Amino acid sequence: MPEPQPSKNDPPPSAATPERPEQRAAESADMVVRRRQQPVRPFRGLRSEVSAGKTLLLGVCGALLVLAAWWLLTRGETPQQRWLSPTLLPSPAETFADFPRLWFEEELTRNAAVSLRRVVLGFGLAALVGAPLGILCGCFRSLGALLAPLLIVGRNIPVAALIPLTFFWFGIGEQQKVMFIFIASVAFVVIDSANAVGEISGRYIDTAYTLGASRRQIITKVIVPLAMPSIFNSLRLLFGIAFGYIMLAELVRLGSEAGGLGFIINSAQRRGMRTYILLVLMIIPLIALAVDRFLYWVQRQLFPYYYGSEGWLHRALVFALRGCEDFAALFRRAVAPPLALSGSADQASKPGPGGAPPSETNTP
Amino acid sequence: MTPDAANHRPPKSIGQIGMGRIIDRSETAAEAALPCVVEFRNVSKTYNVGQRNAFTAIENINFRVRDLPGHGELVCVLGPSGCGKSTILRLIAGLPPQHPATTGEVLVGGAPVLRPGADRGMVFQDYTSFDHRTVLENITFGLECMGVDRRRRHQLGYEWIEHVGLDPKHDAQKYPHELSGGMRQRVAIARSLILRPRIILMDEPFGALDPQTRMNMQDLLLSLWHESEATIFFVTHSIEEAVFLADRIYVMSKAPGTILRELWVEPSDRPARQMQGDPRFLETVNYVRNLITQLEIEGRIAEGTT
Repeated sequence: MPEPQPSKNDPPPSAATPERPEQRAAESADMVVRRRQQPVRPFRGLRSEVSAGKTLLLGVCGALLVLAAWWLLTRGETPQQRWLSPTLLPSPAETFADFPRLWFEEELTRNAAVSLRRVVLGFGLAALVGAPLGILCGCFRSLGALLAPLLIVGRNIPVAALIPLTFFWFGIGEQQKVMFIFIASVAFVVIDSANAVGEISGRYIDTAYTLGASRRQIITKVIVPLAMPSIFNSLRLLFGIAFGYIMLAELVRLGSEAGGLGFIINSAQRRGMRTYILLVLMIIPLIALAVDRFLYWVQRQLFPYYYGSEGWLHRALVFALRGCEDFAALFRRAVAPPLALSGSADQASKPGPGGAPPSETNTP
Repeated sequence: MTPDAANHRPPKSIGQIGMGRIIDRSETAAEAALPCVVEFRNVSKTYNVGQRNAFTAIENINFRVRDLPGHGELVCVLGPSGCGKSTILRLIAGLPPQHPATTGEVLVGGAPVLRPGADRGMVFQDYTSFDHRTVLENITFGLECMGVDRRRRHQLGYEWIEHVGLDPKHDAQKYPHELSGGMRQRVAIARSLILRPRIILMDEPFGALDPQTRMNMQDLLLSLWHESEATIFFVTHSIEEAVFLADRIYVMSKAPGTILRELWVEPSDRPARQMQGDPRFLETVNYVRNLITQLEIEGRIAEGTT
């Protein structure tokens, strides 16, 4: 060792250096670099990759920690022995023991499906309206400016305050829940889509112009496909938020028993069933996670050029678009391409079809 | 697949060819009678006119490139970074915000430039392949916009993939992120040339490539250019590149960019690698370098006196 300092900071040199003995005399800076490259303890490397197995393991550890804390806080035979009384928090055992009753008596799956359906309809509508509108706002800034006040209101309004109004507008049935989700999320979809378009580098648009694309072609063939991965990603994240909103809409009830997970929580609250509430609170993130993973799979299969996947959905889309193109071609006059390659190796001697012959005048 | 000495065909030059010496020539009477492919008449471009941050990119640019029968010229615009070289190209292309010019006229084929079009293909320094399209789909983008049916445009696309030195079998279905910088620029060149543009605008297309790839691309460009009749405007800050490629070099000053000197250069008769190591070639490069220094000093003196 040239200086004593590195040995203080470094792991034992035998661990770091056996495979490269010639670098044994390296300077301390060099050793620090090499130490970083080695797989080190968790929480060591900044932003370093963590393998999928490790991620899962750490996640399970995190969940177990919370569960352990819960168990610890509600431990004890009698309410007096517990740190937290059962009226505040039932113990894990009590909670999970109530699961079968929740499943069968409260029709958990049906109510979950009802909630999911509302979000899918409301948010799907928001995506169908919001994404095209957002793309247009991104393409035509004047339209964006025109809609700006509406979007500012839509983004900053406290969504809970919308519920009473939606009762007036859409009654107390399914329509009210769906439209509430729509109103609560459409502004975000528009804004995110417009931003996605704004983030496309101008050089793509310049290139398309110099290749003879019209404005409409640039929107459909360049801007939309390039913005789509980013739009889809934000839709996926917004879907999670919309799923949270539906609880809000279901918790506030007027008259009819409309079902949904929020309805279970609401009626459990009135009957003092804390275990039901806790169980539903645990089930909601699980459903949200499942939906998110599904959407992420869709996203990966739609955009193989960003995620390096097999791209099944992308292929299906390409296939469908080609079908549309072929169908449209039936009603259109064929356009002749510019000259075929007259200068390629095998055709060099022949003059190009109708085009300029090679202009070197070859002397015989 | 790079063109080597064996298939390096001599250019269809108007005059002599050789090692890139500076030629002392001016327009002949016959040439002066020809119409212009591109003409700049007192063109200036100022951004943010009337505001405090007004900036003049180019000032009083004048030049003419004649429409020589059956032969396109390769014009290099040489100058330091930020001297408005790209502004000139984008004015020809008709791309905002450079287009329209603040004063003066930009004429292409005798008519003022109104908007971008496929007759003026452009290759940029940045990689501009569309990420969501395969190589084949990228190359046939312009044909698709024209409305050429898929079978014909793909057939032509495959021809061009091979023509720019890519492998039709392996590369056609790749996405741009799977390609190296040189391959991406081949795609960009094929994508423009497939439309048979009258004018090709190249904005430092090889600026981001390593020297080896750069020379291969220069050879490729020359061989593609020799078989087309297109006029090429090639912007670069590399003197070597300009001397090797150009028929004519416009040397530009720092901002606000003006044309300091028009130089005619002997077109090259051999591949880049052989040429660019040759002492005679290097002599020319040095001459141009000294000339630029000289012109800059003169410019500064002139500025000081006025």
